[in-house]
Amino acid sequence: MAPQSLHLTLANLLIPVAILTFAAGFFPYKPFMPGLATFEELRWDDKWDWQRRGTPERKFDRLVFMVVDALRSDFVYGNGSGMEFTQSLIRDGAALPFTAHATSPTITMPRVKAITTGSIPSFLDVILNFAESDTTSTLAAQDTWLAQLRAQDGGKGRLVMYGDDTWLKLFPGFFERQDGTSSFFVSDFTEVDNNVTRHVPGELLNTDWNAMIMHYLGLDHIGHKTGPLGPNMIPKQVEMDSIVRDIYTAIENEEHLENTLFVLAGDHGMNEGGNHGGSAPGETSPALVFMSPKLKKITEFTDRTSPAEPKGEFEYYKKVEQSDIAPTLAGLLGFPVPRNNLGVFIEEFLFLWDDASDRIQLLLRNAEQVKKIVEATYPNLYFGYDRKDFKTDCGQSLSDGEKLACKWSGVVDIMGTFATIHPRLRISQLYWFLRAAQETMSTTASNYDVSKLVLGTSIAFAAFSLAFFSLNRTRPFSFTGIFFTLTLLLYGVLMFASSYVEEEQNFWYWMTSAWFFYLFMQASREAWQSWFIFHPAIVLLFLHRITRRWNQTGQKFAGAPDIVHSSLFRGSSSVVLWSLIGACYMDITMRLARHVARSVAGKDDPPGKDGKVEETNEGERLMGMMAVFPLGATAFVFKLAFTVNDAPELTRGIAHGMLYWAASLELVGLARMVFGGIALVTGWMVLYEWRASRARMSSEQGNGNLAVSLFDLFTLFLITQTKAENIPLYLIFRMQTFLLSFLDLSPTAISLTSLLLGQTTFFALGNSNAISSIDLSNSYNGVSGYNVLAVGALLFASNWAGPIYWSLVGVLLLGSHGRKQRHIATGELDARDWVAVEREHLIKLAEREKEGAERRQDPGAWRQHVGLLTLFISGATVAVMLACTVLRQHLFIWTVFSPKYLFAMAWGVGHHLGVDVLLGGCLWWLGTW
Amino acid sequence: MATVVQEPARPRVPSAPIDILNTDLAKLYTHIHPVLLLSVYAFKFNSIVENPVTALSETLVAVGILQVVFSAICLPPTGGSATPLGDKRKPGEKKKGAPSPVASAVNGTVIPAFLALVLAIIAGIPILGVLLVLFGAPISTHWEHTALCAAHISFLTAIPLTYVHGVDGSTWREIVSLELPIDEVYGCLIGTMLGAWLGAVPIPLDWDREWQKWPITIVTGAYIGFAVGKSVGGTLLKGKTVLFG
Repeated sequence: MAPQSLHLTLANLLIPVAILTFAAGFFPYKPFMPGLATFEELRWDDKWDWQRRGTPERKFDRLVFMVVDALRSDFVYGNGSGMEFTQSLIRDGAALPFTAHATSPTITMPRVKAITTGSIPSFLDVILNFAESDTTSTLAAQDTWLAQLRAQDGGKGRLVMYGDDTWLKLFPGFFERQDGTSSFFVSDFTEVDNNVTRHVPGELLNTDWNAMIMHYLGLDHIGHKTGPLGPNMIPKQVEMDSIVRDIYTAIENEEHLENTLFVLAGDHGMNEGGNHGGSAPGETSPALVFMSPKLKKITEFTDRTSPAEPKGEFEYYKKVEQSDIAPTLAGLLGFPVPRNNLGVFIEEFLFLWDDASDRIQLLLRNAEQVKKIVEATYPNLYFGYDRKDFKTDCGQSLSDGEKLACKWSGVVDIMGTFATIHPRLRISQLYWFLRAAQETMSTTASNYDVSKLVLGTSIAFAAFSLAFFSLNRTRPFSFTGIFFTLTLLLYGVLMFASSYVEEEQNFWYWMTSAWFFYLFMQASREAWQSWFIFHPAIVLLFLHRITRRWNQTGQKFAGAPDIVHSSLFRGSSSVVLWSLIGACYMDITMRLARHVARSVAGKDDPPGKDGKVEETNEGERLMGMMAVFPLGATAFVFKLAFTVNDAPELTRGIAHGMLYWAASLELVGLARMVFGGIALVTGWMVLYEWRASRARMSSEQGNGNLAVSLFDLFTLFLITQTKAENIPLYLIFRMQTFLLSFLDLSPTAISLTSLLLGQTTFFALGNSNAISSIDLSNSYNGVSGYNVLAVGALLFASNWAGPIYWSLVGVLLLGSHGRKQRHIATGELDARDWVAVEREHLIKLAEREKEGAERRQDPGAWRQHVGLLTLFISGATVAVMLACTVLRQHLFIWTVFSPKYLFAMAWGVGHHLGVDVLLGGCLWWLGTW
Repeated sequence: MATVVQEPARPRVPSAPIDILNTDLAKLYTHIHPVLLLSVYAFKFNSIVENPVTALSETLVAVGILQVVFSAICLPPTGGSATPLGDKRKPGEKKKGAPSPVASAVNGTVIPAFLALVLAIIAGIPILGVLLVLFGAPISTHWEHTALCAAHISFLTAIPLTYVHGVDGSTWREIVSLELPIDEVYGCLIGTMLGAWLGAVPIPLDWDREWQKWPITIVTGAYIGFAVGKSVGGTLLKGKTVLFG
């Protein structure tokens, strides 16, 4: 192998190694302590006589845990809330309200983990959230309050669960009775909730369960669709309130529910756009209400005004951590605090116990359990029971671990003293330690494995250097090369600016505009067009301007007007949208028909003897059309049927009969038909071209038509994976591809263009570097049941559709595949003056034809293309890694930089290796047939 | 599609860089001018941030006057009179009562300068406005802002350029394709355009400052780019051409 190819191969092999090494250091796998916690013997028994007195009496023996997805604090507590009954309970003192701070990432699965284990889930749970079936992410083996409740009273605990099937995946086999709902269609506001509610009256009469868990999804769906102020929001809150009323009334009236604790909680909130995943105040502030008539005992002196005014943004009443739920339930229901808990027993509930020694015991058990985790984290520090010099201030000069050790020694000191002191002092000392431990252990800053971070970055840098040395050194001063370097350099710098990570689309839009204008300037050197505003490069710029207006993305301008949300596509004018979508499907079907017609005719458009290109005749074209029309039509019907279910507001202008018919179709089967059809045509085309290439003389060269056919087939797949409102963009992409083939681009310029447009369209399709922008709706197309590989691939294709498209276009432009070969005999051209212009034009065409065909057979051209793309991706990865390493103590590390790293992983492994190298390499190789 | 007018393969006459007029006043004022422009802009900056439309319009008038004055004082006018007016007179004409200095100044410099101003308004503003929108300027709102931004860029670049090069199509092709040798005037164009382009960088940052509003950073970038381009184009890079590859 040539040293250059060797360098390039090595660079590409190093990229995944670097990414994984860095990830291992950046998202450390938190070892959790296995097994269930039990009540252990406590220290200072001689003094408190805990063994004889036993554990504090449990105050409740049943639990109704009602989760309302995305129940932001103001939906319950605010002035405009529809939850009047809940508010009246707060006023009566039968309900104790909190704002439960949810840490980022604010998506359901990590939040459920936090609520049930009391731990702070690692960021890797985000990935596992999308690969839910992964067994390592289930909580079956972990200590949770569900496991504790099941184990209570000698293993006689019974649980029932209705609602979001995330719980069923996390707790397989835990529930006596269950009915899972999935949030497959976000447009479903009612069915998902009715499927939960219908079980409630019956279960309230059953006496066999210890805990009933409900998880309502409708409110979250409404948020995603119409935002927190949408017209369905208040009715939904009223509906949720009526369920609260039913359950609370039953607790008041039914004897067997007498000692039932009723908890209403949101798993996370939502931002102004109704989405979640990040760490805006709205997203991290769900409501948390504990309800029971017994609570009146402790609410006498608490704040009972309702509706209330928020203190900060969405901060109503007292703010607690979401992880505090687990130890609080443990105390109230009388089971040991789950082992991995970092939560703190909520102080208000202490007063349910009259005896101070019970209160102290509850907190001490909480503290002993948390101390074990702290001890495991700081094995070199002393967390024993020997009394040391007691310091009253655990000052600033100490490290985080030393501060905790100091505070623990304060606990040991005050617990062990025989002096008569007010119990209040002991309780404050325990809280002092617990809260400090919670804060320190939640900020994982101490957990980075810096050596792995450095190692990963170094490997990525090695890949970058190798990619650099794999490149052909061309002229020392090429403007395109400068532009490429500038792009990489600026991108690297911007990765350190949190706002540019959030608003990355602006960088790519800005760079691409400049690039197209440069192409215009460059083209003006050769020929001046009298109508320069119709110059291909200017039209490209114009189309680019439409593309960037299509979807507003990022954080700062997310709500700004864009084409997708304009009235152009909504309501009755959705006909416009569907005409464009239809045109797009029509275009792709016709292109496929041409390919099939060519294969039916058995012609590889070789030049006839007279130099004329033979065209397929009408009959063959008709056959081609007949062969692919069912595929195109099925794909279109699938998109329509999917959209009727997923985004009905986009189909309102369509005839009702048709919609009714489309809505009744079976989506999984339709999607499979589309994918199967694509596979079938692919197989046919490959077979045909393989035979054609074998039939050709060795001296003759193919036209690369197979690459074009496969590209069109792949485009149909990508369109199937794209949301309806984004499909018209493919018409723009098609036009841009066409215009680019007009411009006389150098190979480097082609690589750069495909790179720029790939990044641009990633964001223009509505993605951003926020987890909340990941679109899940198309990742289950044709999949029934659960298949990690299929769902992962579909998820990637639906979110990276634009970059994949442009990566493949880059390959086609580079080899000018499928370009009509005219085989102009330049020697025979008329040399007289008056045709000079025409002659020059033809000579140029002939040159370009030859150039493209030669490049197609030249592995060096392909290597250079991949080399440039590898150089960019490894450089970009180095920049992101450096930013994450340097800024690891930054305030936004978990909200901006970590998500960016997850995206960088997908770009590096999924897009670069999977698409640019593998898929593009296949296309390139098949194009040489 | 547009018709492609092929340039006949004529021998390229390399355009010469423009020199500042060889008068003391021109040599002095060409250094004062950018300082003056930037001072005016800096002086108005706070009110531009507060009230962009009004303040940018006011500044525009001042900038227009300054640019016209600069062109008239420092630059050689376009047209057949590539040389300063004084040399154009034929010996025979001289006796027929030479035109008064005022009249010759009006004919030779004031009128071209005025025409340059008119062209900058009627052609420069629409073209640059469209270009700004293509580069991402808001399209459904902020019409006045974008127009004023285009006007400022147009005044900074088009007035001196039209004054020296006129409306000759092939020269403008050379200007667009960066083939003209760099001089003070052409440096202004490149500097202003690059400055305006780079001026977009601070907009997305989360500093929440008033001056991040459209189009203040763009105009500011244009002014700074103008000053830099003018001084670099007139000294370091004079006579060089931008290389393409």
